[in-house]
Formats: sequence, structure tokens, C-alpha cells
Amino acid sequence: MAGDALWYEAAQVVGITNALNVAADGLGAAGLTPVNPETAAAEVRAVFDEIRAFFGGAAEVPAPFRLIAHDAGYLADVWGAARHAFADNRLPRRLKAALAFAVSLTSRSPFGSAFYLAEMRRLGVTERGVFEVLGVTQMFSSYTKIADTLALEPDMGDIAPADPSPAPGG
Amino acid sequence: MPTVRLRDASEYPAAVRKMFELSREWFNHDFKEPPAMSRVMAWDPGFGAPHGRAMKRAMAPGEFSRGEKEMVAAVVSGVNACHY
Repeated sequence: MAGDALWYEAAQVVGITNALNVAADGLGAAGLTPVNPETAAAEVRAVFDEIRAFFGGAAEVPAPFRLIAHDAGYLADVWGAARHAFADNRLPRRLKAALAFAVSLTSRSPFGSAFYLAEMRRLGVTERGVFEVLGVTQMFSSYTKIADTLALEPDMGDIAPADPSPAPGG
Repeated sequence: MPTVRLRDASEYPAAVRKMFELSREWFNHDFKEPPAMSRVMAWDPGFGAPHGRAMKRAMAPGEFSRGEKEMVAAVVSGVNACHY
């Protein structure tokens, strides 16, 4: 996992996962009505079709996208960022689903935990793999709280060498 | 500043210092002092030993590589806003 590019990709997954979970768990619980794909405007339906295809021909558009689809332009932009973040790139999609699952568990997102568990399975992760991710999530949820309780200061920064490469296009 | 005084490795009993050697091997890095977390976990081997074994089981290569699991761990730490 050397090189900053991998970590930029991981950070994108963390960010957009939180953004989608906030909408699904917060707006859904608050009672905001999701957009019905059957009656949505054509431009919204087109985005919904892309989303369904991206997630393996899902029967339903995932909740966070339906909840934010009241503004077609906003939906398209959020989806553009999400598609980019979750697509195969330097990090494979299967690992990105695992990262999103770990993020969702850690942030106690009912939507995200269920959705990315299903995504991991759809992308070929077995029960063994699921429990591997769960184990790492659980252990580091413990370590981080022990470290924070004792206010430990970072002392492991030298393990990974700095990446001297410039920004893309630089 | 830590809320406890972190003991130097030399202050720990010999048996516990062996855990620090395992820690060095685990990270494949020659620390001047074992990481603070390693020293904290070594304070009470009754907790630190099984916790450490559970961590090593969780981090062992399987369906996901050690590197991939390190990334999952980093993400969990980030979401927990862990400064360490």
C-alpha cells in the first residue's frame, strides 16, 4: 500500500461513504420522502439507471440517491463523485466496498453497514472475508479508543516513507 | 501529553520485553523505543496478550492482504478521529 495515490483513493471512499450514509440514515429517519423512480423527471431517471447498473443491476436505487434526487443537478454531481470513488482504479472495487463497510460499521450507519455488506458479497467477498474486515474494524476500534483515552502521541510516522511524486499533472 | 507515564522498554520484565521484539518484527521497523501503543498494551499482559493475538489473527493475510487490512485499519482510525 505504498504511494500516496492509493491513500487519496481510500480517503475519497471514506468521504463519499459518509456523505451517502448521512443522507440515508439521517434524511430517511427524518421522514423526507425519497424520489420515486417511476415518476421522476427524465434526467433523474437517467442517473438512477446509471446507479442501478453500477451496483450490479440493482432492483432498487439505493436510498441516499433517491433521497437527494429532489435536485437533479445535485444528484448528478454526487453520483459523479460516488461513481468515481467506488470504481476500480488503483484500488479494486472489492477493497473499496470493504473500506466503505468498515467506515459504516465504525460510524454506526445502519444503511451503510447493510448496503456495503451486500456490495462486498456481490463483488465476491466470502463470509471469511467479511469477518476479516469485521475483525480489523473491531480491533482498531479498540486500539483507537485506548490510544485516545491515554492521549497517546503519534510515534509511528517513520514506518512509511514519504511519497516524493508530484500531484497528477504536476 | 499522555495521561500516563509511558515506561521505557527497559522498565518492563524480560518476558514482556520479548513482546517488544515481536512488535519490531511485526512492523519490520527498528524503533528506538517500542511504539507507545505496544508499551501500553504490555502494561497488563492479561489484557494485552489476548488483545494482541486477536489483532494478529485479524491482520493476517487471508482473503484480504495484510496491506489491504492496514488500509482498513487506517480508515477505521480516521473515522474514529484517532490522533495516534
